[in-house]
Formats: sequence, C-alpha cells, structure tokens
Amino acid sequence: MSGSWQRTRAAAWRVLAHPGALISVAYLAVTICVSLTAQWLLPIDPLYQDLASTLEPPGATYWFGTDELGRDILARVIYGARTSLLTAGGAVVIAAAIGVPIGLIAGYFGGWRDTILMRIVDVLLALPGILFAMALIAVLGRSQAAALVAVGITGIPSFARITRAQVLSLRQRDFVLAVEALGGTAAYNMFRTVLPNAWSPILVQVVILSSVAILLEAALAFLGVGIPPPTPSWGEMLRTGKSYLYEAPTYAILPGLALTLTILSLDTLGRTLATVLEDRREVVEDEAQ
Amino acid sequence: MTSYILRRLAQLVPVLFLASIGIWAMVYAVPGSPVGAIVGENATPEQIADTIQRLGLDRPFYEQYWSWLSGAVLGDLGESIQSREPVLDLILTRVPATIQLGLAAILVGLVLGVPVAVVSALVPGSLIDRMLSGWSALALGVPTFWLGILLILLFGVQLHWLPSVSTYIPFFEDPVGALENLLLPALTLGTYVSGIFARFLRASLLGELKADYVRTARSKGLRERDVVGRHVMRNALLPFVTIVGLMLAAFVGGTVVTEAVFTYPGIGRLLIQAIGVRDYPLIQGCILFVLVIYVLMNVLVDVLYAYIDPRIEYR
Repeated sequence: MSGSWQRTRAAAWRVLAHPGALISVAYLAVTICVSLTAQWLLPIDPLYQDLASTLEPPGATYWFGTDELGRDILARVIYGARTSLLTAGGAVVIAAAIGVPIGLIAGYFGGWRDTILMRIVDVLLALPGILFAMALIAVLGRSQAAALVAVGITGIPSFARITRAQVLSLRQRDFVLAVEALGGTAAYNMFRTVLPNAWSPILVQVVILSSVAILLEAALAFLGVGIPPPTPSWGEMLRTGKSYLYEAPTYAILPGLALTLTILSLDTLGRTLATVLEDRREVVEDEAQ
Repeated sequence: MTSYILRRLAQLVPVLFLASIGIWAMVYAVPGSPVGAIVGENATPEQIADTIQRLGLDRPFYEQYWSWLSGAVLGDLGESIQSREPVLDLILTRVPATIQLGLAAILVGLVLGVPVAVVSALVPGSLIDRMLSGWSALALGVPTFWLGILLILLFGVQLHWLPSVSTYIPFFEDPVGALENLLLPALTLGTYVSGIFARFLRASLLGELKADYVRTARSKGLRERDVVGRHVMRNALLPFVTIVGLMLAAFVGGTVVTEAVFTYPGIGRLLIQAIGVRDYPLIQGCILFVLVIYVLMNVLVDVLYAYIDPRIEYR
C-alpha cells in the first residue's frame, strides 16, 4: 500500500517537473480556489446591476468593465469559472460512472455482452458530440441539468472504450485468473482486481475529457442552448459580448481568455500525465523482467 | 473497390437506423406532447385535432415511424412549422454555403498546417519544432468561437478591412465579394484544421522518417525533397488519415459554431435557428441531414485510406 502511494507521489513529481504542466496546475489551482471561495472572500456580485454604468470600458471601479446590464465583467468571469468547472466535473462523473462499468463488463465477460454494449457505444461515438447535445437540449429544454447530462453522455464512449482496452490486456494475466480460480465473484474481480490496475489511462481520460467538457459546455452556451441566464457562464458572456463588439470591444476578451487558458491547461496536464504514466508502466515492466 | 465501397455503405445501415429512431423519437420526448410543441399553447381543440390527424398521431407508433422513415428516405422531411416550407428545400438552399465554408477552411488548414508539420518533423526537438508545436497546441486549444470574435475585433471593428458579419456569395459569381465574406470564417475554422494537420501529420512523419527505406533513399543520394515528398509523405498519410477520420466530428461541430459566430447562412445556423423557435420538423431534418453527410464523410475517409494503401484488401 505504501509502495503504491510512493509510486503515485513519484509520478506526481515527474508530472510537475515539466514546466508546462507546472504552470497548468498552478493556473487550475488558482482558478478553482478563487471561483469556489469568491462568494465569501471577494466583495463582488455577478448579478448586481449598476444600470447607471452599462458597457463601461475597463476602469478603476470595474477592472474589466461592465456588461449591457451594468454587471461587473470580472465578477461574472470568476463566477463563470465555477459554472464551467462544476458542469465539466459533473459531466465527467456521469461519463465515467456509466462508461467505466460498460467497459469493465464488456472486456471482462466478452461474448454477447461485449458485442451488444460496444455496438451501442459505437453508435454513440458515431454522432458528433455537439450535434447530440444540441438535439438532447432541444428536447429537454435549456437548464443546468440538461447541459450536464448532454455533455456527460457524449463522454461515455471514450471511457467505455479505454476501460475495455485495459481490461482486455489484463484479463488473462495470472493475478486475475488466480482470483477467478480461488472463487472470487466476477464483480469482486472486476472492481477490486482489474480496475485498480487499469486506472492510469482512465485518469488521463478524466483530465482530457474535462477540457472537452468545458469546451462543449461553453460552445452550447455560445450557441444559445446551454445553461440559461442569468447564471454567469463564459460561453453565454461570449455570446452577448459578440453583440456589443463596437460599443465594448473588451467585453468578449476576458471570458474567452479564461476559457482558453483553462482548456489549454487541462490539455497540457492530460498529455504530460499520459507521457509520464506510459513511461512508468514501461519501467515497471522492465523491473519485472 | 466498388464492392468494398458498397459493403462499407451497407455497414452504415444499422447506425443510421438506430440514429433515425432516436431523431424520430425526440419529438415524443419533449415535455408535454408533440402536438403542444407544434401548435403552441393557445391552440383551439379543432387545431389540435387537425394536427393529430395530419401528423397521424392517432395511428400505432410503428406505423408513424415507418411513414416518417419512408418519407425521409425519399427526401420528404416534412414541413417547417415556422415557414410552412418543405424542410428539405430549406436545407438544400443552405448546403452550398456550408460546402463553400468547409472547403475554404480545409484549404486554409492545408496551407497553414502541412508546411508546419513537415518543417517541425525534419528538425525534431529543435527550437523551431518546439515553437511550431506550441502553435499547433494553440490552434487546437483556442475555442473556435473566441478566435472568430478576436478576428472580427481586429479586422472588422478596428481595421475595417473585412465585414464582421458574413453573407454567402457563390465564389464563381463574384470571387472578390465571396473572398471578402469568406476569409474570416475560413481562417477561424481553418486554424483548427491546421492544428490537426500540424500535430498529427508531424507525429506520423516522425514515425516514418526513422524507417530503413528512408536511410536507403538518402544513402543512394536522393534529394531531401524527393525523400520526403515521394517516399515518406505517402506512407505518413496512412496513420494520419485515420486521425482525420476521428477529427471529423470536431470539424462538423466547428462548422456549426463558426457559422454562429459570423451569422453565416449555412446548415449549422439553420439548425440553431430551428432550435431557438422549437421548429421540431426542421430540427429533425437538419440533424438527420448533417448526420448522413457526416457518416458519408467517414466512408470517404475509409475509401481514401484503402486507396492510399494498396496493402489493404477490399474486404
């Protein structure tokens, strides 16, 4: 147990040894902390309307100006981070909670379960995610829950496929067969023996899918089918900001910058994680030989 | 080859069948009833009865699905609630605009992306390579809609060089006007495409450059241009084409978003407008149409793959 903790810590240090990953982690940490504690720590209100000063340029009172209703753009960007992060987090949880068991069952049992489950996953994978999400929201109506579910469902196939591939490579290994021979139930074997050994690509997928989910949520909001106003969201701010490009050119810049930096950070972190974990796996196999 | 294409097309049937059930059923999943969604809240009982009759909602569901599907296969996607025009006509008037945008974006992506991939694959690990890789990460990471807004701010609002709202002008009728309106949207979508080219073509070029035949070609004195252009590129295209197939979904999504940024009158914008006014037959029609185009593009990629690689048997 302490050995696996040490390996995890060693892997974390090796991720942070990459400058890009270090900057990404720092940016994400600041974003998460600030957006989650803003309501207690910062004297800002994303919903307060200062109707006397609408579409103000950046200045001393409002550092990044105000929107068309006189609301503080900086405050809305900070609270928008919370909307983005919570939606993405929830969507990834939905995707993993459904996708990982599908992959486990398909890979572990094989046969007809594998065929049926992966056919369904393939159909889901065959649809462009944004089209699927738009169709779903057209049916369910605009709400936070609809956005969450729509983004979450589009992430199921990648979790299912990656888990299944991992399980297939582990299924005939001695320690899995041993548990089976000793009479361990299939559920015990899947969740307690196979899954703990399959976590590294799943973790990489969690990080990468978070960036995809944030982008998809913002795109839906930008298209006017995401989380409905007045909840602050980066995509929605870009959507309204686009209508005031002449009156307030800076309106659409800050939300887009926050969005882009978040996506790039998660992408960089995910790719560094993938390289480091792949290296580690090779090292472990070398030791075994 | 023909039989391969036919077989590949036949594989689409189950996917399209399942998707068509989903698209057909979506109207029935709307909270309330499809009738309420179509006639509105203030409809008279006569209107409701008339709509139920007209849509055949009093018939068994499999009959309803069958008549919808057989209509769709023959090109009858129903009538738009809003404009009362046939859905297929509305879609077909938007198709040329979207095709023009898509082709222009792919062109921009090729022009910006392929040189980047080749240069950075030839000097891996160098400063140039790292700068170009950073650029491709940006091209893939910056959301299409924000890039579009930034381009409008620079070229439309500040410099007044290009219109900030793009209309569709057929290229062969008025090339200058078409370019003026197409440049910013094509650059927006094309930047993303160039990121795909730059990152993934570089990766597969790097893989090929290590192969023995490259050393042979170099040692027999071929010019580097011929080594890369004739030998490596053709082999590197194989893994790359697979990636292109996987990125098609993102390209379709990017087209929808780009059309929204520039209020460009393509299919994506038609779909967004339809969702905005809850015009369900039009929503269904657009989604079905885009989906069919998308799966056909996937088949095209597979056929291209088989064409580039003679080792693949057409099975």
